[in-house]
Amino acid sequence: MRTRQTDVLIVGGGGAGFRAAIGAREGNASAVLASKGPLARSGASPMAGADLTCHGQGMRQAGFFGEPRDSEEKFFNDIVHQGCFLNDQHLVETYVRDGPERLLETLAWGCKPRFSDERAIFTSGTGIMDAHLREAKRLGVELLEDVAVLEITKHDGVVNGALALDIHTGELIVINCKAVVMATGGWHKAYTPVTGSKELTGDGVAMGFRAGAEVGNMEFVTFACNIPLWPPVWRGSIITYVMGIMCGGTLENADRERFLEKYDPETVSIASHTEWNKSFFSNVAAQEIRAGKGSPHGGVYYVAGDTPWEAFEARVLSSYPDWKFKGADFSDMAELFRSGEGVEVAGAAEYFEGGLCVDKHFATNVPGLYAAGECAISLFGANRVAAATMEMLVTGAIAGRAAAGFAAKQSSFASNTDHLRALIKKVEAPLGRNAGSSPGRVRAKLQRESHEKLGPVRNAEEIQDLLKFVKDTQESVLPNLAPRSKTRAYNKEWIEILELENLLKVIELSAVAAEARTESRGVHYREEFPSTDNDQWLVEIVLHEKDGATKLAKRPVSVTSLVPPSGSIPYFDMVKRMMLAHSDVGGHH
Amino acid sequence: MDGEERKEAVPLEKTVNVRVRRYDPATDTDSRYDTFEVPVVHGMSVLDALDFIYEHLDGTLSYYDHAACNQGICKRCLIQINGETGLMCQTRVEGDVTLDPLPRFDVVKDLVTARGGETRG
Repeated sequence: MRTRQTDVLIVGGGGAGFRAAIGAREGNASAVLASKGPLARSGASPMAGADLTCHGQGMRQAGFFGEPRDSEEKFFNDIVHQGCFLNDQHLVETYVRDGPERLLETLAWGCKPRFSDERAIFTSGTGIMDAHLREAKRLGVELLEDVAVLEITKHDGVVNGALALDIHTGELIVINCKAVVMATGGWHKAYTPVTGSKELTGDGVAMGFRAGAEVGNMEFVTFACNIPLWPPVWRGSIITYVMGIMCGGTLENADRERFLEKYDPETVSIASHTEWNKSFFSNVAAQEIRAGKGSPHGGVYYVAGDTPWEAFEARVLSSYPDWKFKGADFSDMAELFRSGEGVEVAGAAEYFEGGLCVDKHFATNVPGLYAAGECAISLFGANRVAAATMEMLVTGAIAGRAAAGFAAKQSSFASNTDHLRALIKKVEAPLGRNAGSSPGRVRAKLQRESHEKLGPVRNAEEIQDLLKFVKDTQESVLPNLAPRSKTRAYNKEWIEILELENLLKVIELSAVAAEARTESRGVHYREEFPSTDNDQWLVEIVLHEKDGATKLAKRPVSVTSLVPPSGSIPYFDMVKRMMLAHSDVGGHH
Repeated sequence: MDGEERKEAVPLEKTVNVRVRRYDPATDTDSRYDTFEVPVVHGMSVLDALDFIYEHLDGTLSYYDHAACNQGICKRCLIQINGETGLMCQTRVEGDVTLDPLPRFDVVKDLVTARGGETRG
């Protein structure tokens, strides 16, 4: 067992974690960043397309083409409407205000833009990550690679450290610190298919919840639309998602009906050209699949549609030379479009609006615990259209700086040996058990259950089924899981057992909130309640643990300047109304 | 139950032999090959095949995937595939295949090698 000491521990090696670590150093705190995966290649950040959104004026100040008519007020207006008024408007103001500064520094640290539009620069997720890795190293952040933080510890109610696992050696690491920033991203691994990396298991949300933190908006999950399901090697790629915006095309069900024609043409058109595509297309595709009109692998077909093949291919090749996209080769996809068969696609879990509740300093209700990026409650409310990459940078910078300020006020490193001893015993317990079920197969079952029962379209019966599965697994299966190998070094089954506790917890919280919200709003659609109810449901569902039980509370949304609508409005009418409230600024956001 | 899950996971088209170099520095003096019979479909990756082995045949197998991106971006699933360096997530299984860890790196376990980690604790 090793021991580390630092003022601020940052948990998570994606963009929010790196920007928080830089923020902590800017605040003169020592900083350790624990990355569960490869340095600067961990989490969802390196996989982003990637756009960095910023209002047009900020873009122009940075020397880019940007919409001159745009303003902070317009961008704010658009984000709140896209979020269907469930946003914390204070946090939206912060996002809009700080964007230009985060954009400028990202470029100054070496990120290369490829092109820009009215409200975004387009670069790569790896480019953003490399820039922040360089700056973090320059500032002396201590970086731990392939190290998973398993639990945080407290002393007198204040965060004072964490227990972590070096995945390569299997050695435990005790980290003493004065503040923790959670930046662990979403819980993609609870689903299949997904567009994020496999280490995203809701660790920060689950650890924070167990430490007494409030979590909110857990029912909202954004599914990237048009994600390939088949063949297996394409599963989860965003290539066809990006194609949908850049190259056109349409969707067909198994009966070869072009089902988008059933919906309001203006809504379909706006969804086709903006990042409203995620929520709208994932929803309507799920409705076809649930109606029994799905393809053999449970999707719908993305086809070139009325676009002639030559024109479609020319558009694809201008974005993806030789049908290559990022690190993958899609050359045999061409034939599927040329023949008219199309690619089997569906929504894939991509972005989790829910997370740890935070104040304007990105502090949770647990003293010394901060949250940034996707594991914090989203400023995008019930639906995200603008970029999460900018969210991770804006929130990371504030959380890191605030955590440094908190750490500076703590006099000494507190120890809590009893708690730590109990944690170590719990973490090592699976290694001492005789083999039971395969942890990999239990996880695979959870992934299928979540995909089927907590997707873009939900109902009470399915949510209750899922909750029953989760409860049975938590009570009867998880305590008996044992890795077949007792070797500590890179023990996949041991890692999966430790992750499963978190995956089951976040899915439980998400399902509890999804069952409670008896309306449809943003990315949460309930078949039995197909209206957005602005009289009853302009509230966040906030969950916390008390005496071992999950308590649910409703909290009115935080409003600064944009007054929410009233009345109950049919879901797709509400979507259109929110789309049409967009300001006179073009682009995809 | 097992048969049903197996069918669901991979609709069977044909089976291939996947030969995997095994070595656990904690317990083994020498490395060896284990061979697994894996049902494959067209367009299945080496990573998919390893997932099948791990979930259904041998849970003690180690390969770097706890933080794998599956999209050829993170590049951490590089191994030797039939003697050539390739990504597990992007190399398709088209017949019998032999898998070895990357040469010139210390083996952590089986196909996992000690790479990167400039400031590994």
